[in-house]
Amino acid sequence: MAAAAIKFQGVTKVYKRVFSDERIRALAEVSFEVVPGEVCAFLGPNGAGKTTAISILMGFFFADSGEIRVLGHPPGDVRAKAQIGFLPENFAFYKYLTAPKLLRLHLALAGRNPAGSAGLIADLLQKVKLAGYENLKIGKYSRGMVQRIGIAQALLCDPQLVILDEPTSGLDPSGRREVLQVLAGLKAQGKTVFLSSHILPEVEQICDRVVIIDRGKLVRTGRLEDMLASGNRVEIAADRVPDGFEQSATGEGAVVERAAHGVRILVDASRKRETVEMLWSAGCDVTAMNPLRSTLEELFLKEVDRQ
Amino acid sequence: MKIRAIMMNTFSGLVRNKIIILFCAGCVCILLLMLSSLLVIRNLRSVQNAEQMQAAVLPLIGSMMALVSGFGSLLAAWSAADALSSEMRSGTILAVMARPVRRWEFLLGKYLGVQLLMLVFVAIMVGLDYLLAWIGGAHIQSAPWELIVYPMVRYAMFSAIGLALVTLMHPILAFSVVLFMSITAQLVSPGANTTFLPEWLKTGLFYLLPSTNLLSEMRFLTITRATLQAATWSEHAVALAYGLDYALVCFLIASWIFHSRSLSRD
Repeated sequence: MAAAAIKFQGVTKVYKRVFSDERIRALAEVSFEVVPGEVCAFLGPNGAGKTTAISILMGFFFADSGEIRVLGHPPGDVRAKAQIGFLPENFAFYKYLTAPKLLRLHLALAGRNPAGSAGLIADLLQKVKLAGYENLKIGKYSRGMVQRIGIAQALLCDPQLVILDEPTSGLDPSGRREVLQVLAGLKAQGKTVFLSSHILPEVEQICDRVVIIDRGKLVRTGRLEDMLASGNRVEIAADRVPDGFEQSATGEGAVVERAAHGVRILVDASRKRETVEMLWSAGCDVTAMNPLRSTLEELFLKEVDRQ
Repeated sequence: MKIRAIMMNTFSGLVRNKIIILFCAGCVCILLLMLSSLLVIRNLRSVQNAEQMQAAVLPLIGSMMALVSGFGSLLAAWSAADALSSEMRSGTILAVMARPVRRWEFLLGKYLGVQLLMLVFVAIMVGLDYLLAWIGGAHIQSAPWELIVYPMVRYAMFSAIGLALVTLMHPILAFSVVLFMSITAQLVSPGANTTFLPEWLKTGLFYLLPSTNLLSEMRFLTITRATLQAATWSEHAVALAYGLDYALVCFLIASWIFHSRSLSRD
């Protein structure tokens, strides 16, 4: 089995105020792993400790205890950082630079010769829809454009691990879709992506693994497929239901919801055949039957509310 | 390549820094005021009493040169403090440090960017020195290298102090400490007539604080041959080594503190 791209083992971080006894526990014994090639969504409400965890991962903060490995190296190690593309939350920039100059600077910081990189930079700007703004200083960019240039710099050196803190922040719906397409492209190339986001329906489309934290504690982690398929229920759509059906079905744990164009019945998977036969024998038309899959948003809210 | 990229980017940022521009504009205004009074004095004197004119003008020129030189020390300290703190404040440091850049490399790049700014400042200052000497009708007798190397070493020392302090505190506080240190260093220097400090404290502070007198090009920047002070090569070597050593120690302290501090938006 390949070594984890990201390994958090019992990581604790406590913020201490100078000249005060006040202690804020940002992370408490957080443990999770991300396998190479996975897209992992790092979720949590505001103040859950996501940015602290990412900062520890990048070597910006130091954990008080626990073991952290990034691509097999300690956080902050230049060998790991050489293979990481990182987009911080609210990406800040040098306002006096243009996008090509910023990307050339980042190439130099990565130890690569920026000379002869015009083609690479033009491709990246095209990818993030910033072509045509090469001469505009970043200080004059809109919030969405800044986010796009941030994504471009994160993808600059063909990283093996891409860490994105709120990548769709400040983007309009089409911008968010484009970011998702970029992430899907990274996934297809076998890159590992670790992203924090609040836009769960979009994250759900591409992620393989989910890590949920709340108030510094790990709430749940696992493969998305396993987590969403845990509800063993079936959704049946019919044009109508016979008299007395609703009462008897509800008594057996089913849920009947009336809509404008028919009825939606949620039943336990073990009772699906019996329910469909009952509807058919009463002359009702069954229009659809699907295994019920909860959404990532439902799962997230359930886990956070439980806390 | 990484350090060079950080250095050039720091220099680009500093020459666009509004506080530094304001700082320099203030200094230019004071210089222009002094220059106008200098020209008035010069024009009031007739050719016959040239010696009287020199006696009035030359001290004024000396004051202007000392002002520019002293201003450079403060500029060096502030630039170094601001170069680092502005990266922390804005959060640009996060994207930079996400690259395979070691913390000392980042700090060294910042420091060298400040030195590049100070090199430009010294070039302007030397030009101004010669201009003022020409206006005063005198000649600068000291070697040009002394006018360049001595202030550069002094500025290297002050910027290293600024950098070390800003890793611990707010840049304004760091700058204030540097200002306080340089004033105290003047007060405890051997020639100073400071009576309110006990001798043991004066001696201790003299060895601890940066000696700006030792590294002042004013020791050599004499505009009349009569007051020219010659120094041997060994004296130059000792004085410059002292400054570079002080700068190196301060830079190492800054690197050590910066190595273990959290990087976040302040």
